[in-house]
Amino acid sequence: MARYAFSLDLDRCIGCAACTIACKTGNDLADNVRYIAVNKFMRGHIPNLFGSFAHHRCFHCEDAACVQVCPTGALSKWNGLTVVDAAKCSACGYCTDACPFKIPTLAAEHVSKCIACFDQVSEGAMPWCVQTCPSQALRFGERARIVTDLQARRATIKARFPAARLYGETELGGLGLIMLLLDQPQVYGLPENPQVPLTLTVWQRAIQPASVGLSLTALAVTGASFIIARRQHLREHARNHQTESLDQIGKDQK
Amino acid sequence: MNPSSRFVQRYAKTQCLIHWVGVITFFALLFSGIALIFAPLSWFAAGGVSKLIHRIAIVPFVVLPILYVILIPRQARALIAESFTYTRDDWAWFKCMPAYFFGSTKNLPPQGRINAGQKIHHALTFVMFVSVSVSGFGLLFGKGRLGVEGLAFAAIAHDLSMLGLTVLLIGHLYFTLVYDALSAMVRGVVSEEYARMEHPKWVAELPENAFIVARAREK
Ligand code: HEM
Ligand code: HEM
Ligand code: SF4
Ligand code: SF4
Ligand code: SF4
Repeated sequence: MARYAFSLDLDRCIGCAACTIACKTGNDLADNVRYIAVNKFMRGHIPNLFGSFAHHRCFHCEDAACVQVCPTGALSKWNGLTVVDAAKCSACGYCTDACPFKIPTLAAEHVSKCIACFDQVSEGAMPWCVQTCPSQALRFGERARIVTDLQARRATIKARFPAARLYGETELGGLGLIMLLLDQPQVYGLPENPQVPLTLTVWQRAIQPASVGLSLTALAVTGASFIIARRQHLREHARNHQTESLDQIGKDQK
Repeated sequence: MNPSSRFVQRYAKTQCLIHWVGVITFFALLFSGIALIFAPLSWFAAGGVSKLIHRIAIVPFVVLPILYVILIPRQARALIAESFTYTRDDWAWFKCMPAYFFGSTKNLPPQGRINAGQKIHHALTFVMFVSVSVSGFGLLFGKGRLGVEGLAFAAIAHDLSMLGLTVLLIGHLYFTLVYDALSAMVRGVVSEEYARMEHPKWVAELPENAFIVARAREK
């Protein structure tokens, strides 16, 4: 099985937001829906001004919190990407709370987030955003290559941006969108060390299966002992019917 | 004399009605909730059917206990008071519980209107009614506000309450069927034999005219 990934090179991104538009058009998204937001930001003072673009879009985490909590299978992993089957979505909203990057939203009672252009990609074509990017900041392909290429890019910009680093190489099991940041993650509004909280894993991996499992166990145990108990009770019942007076019933009780 | 020819009133019509509407509501909540945590049922959750059912059923689930208190306050007070009062006989009853579980009423200490097992069932049901409701409303109104940990915490509390209520239900159903108690909630009456076996202290308190000769169904 292949493991695909996107890369986003922020040294190349010119903030045109063509990806946003391409995604919207290519995927025929409703007016109020979009899967990418590109926000320009500035820091520092002239002449030491630093500006870049914060992209708010799904990272396709390998250990995806959204997939873990999704009760219906509307979200699932496919070749390293987090894909969406909106028809299955029950709009429970668990994923919107669980995602460490606050990516999924609910629109018209369905989950709304990057679908990795599943139709395109499964037929060997490039995702719309990648196809459209005019500065080749966005790329898509085999994850291993995506990572080595981005590492090489980092080496070449090291002199200009000493703080430059890759984001997503190992985080959350390795993200399916690796960014070449020009500065620390916090500057981009990204968590330094994104994490799926332990309580969430306990809920999903322990409490949920245990709740169902123990309920079924209780059902099985009582089901089996029912036969024994019922026969015993019917015997008592028969004995009662042989007694002369009702007052005798229960007299073997203390 | 056939010990099962006389009957005694145990529950009022209103109590029976509230109980059965409650049972339907409970099963609706249980199955629509389980659909969210049990993969083989996820088809039922997909598309939002189970979510809708779960949310509709919340209304009667919360309203029924309130109706119980408003319509029949005397019974409501008795139910709560008795469920949370445990006498020496009750503790002794729990010691006989293993044999009782397997169908034997031998050596049971005499029990009042509701026996120790019913007391503990009703009492725990009240407690978990509160925990399932509080955590449920937490999930309902906490969306987007609780954060990941809050969501997980509320869901864990909700799941454990669900488990508790389900185990209680299974026990409740089990004893009802082993000891032929169903008629208490269906026609509101139990046989004299049953009353004497299970609730002798209660029988002792009843006036003699409490026993009625059964109508049609009984031979
Ligand atoms: C006042 C009562 C209740 C309220 C307000 C409530 C509310 C909720 C809400 C909001 C959810 C989240 C899913 C969604 O948004 O559709 C949920 C899930 C659930 N509910 Fe309830 N519910 C109540 C009673 C019950 C009862 C009585 C049961 C079963 C005995 C139950 C079993 C479940 C289960 C198993 C889940 C799935 C939890 C998970 O994903 O881990 N609920 N409930
Ligand atoms: C198919 C399912 C059920 C059956 C057959 C059933 C049957 C019964 C019966 C026969 C009684 C009367 C026992 C007696 O003689 O005192 C009873 C009482 C009771 N049941 Fe159930 N039950 C069911 C489900 C439930 C559920 C789901 C709950 C709550 C979650 C529940 C809560 C109670 C309570 C609180 C009482 C005492 C009622 C009162 O004093 O007004 N039952 N049930
Ligand atoms: S991969 Fe497709 S769906 Fe995802 S952001 Fe790019 S164009 Fe939009
Ligand atoms: S970024 Fe959020 S929505 Fe995307 S895969 Fe990770 S957890 Fe899921
Ligand atoms: S809102 Fe939809 S996609 Fe998100 S967790 Fe619930 S069912 Fe899954």
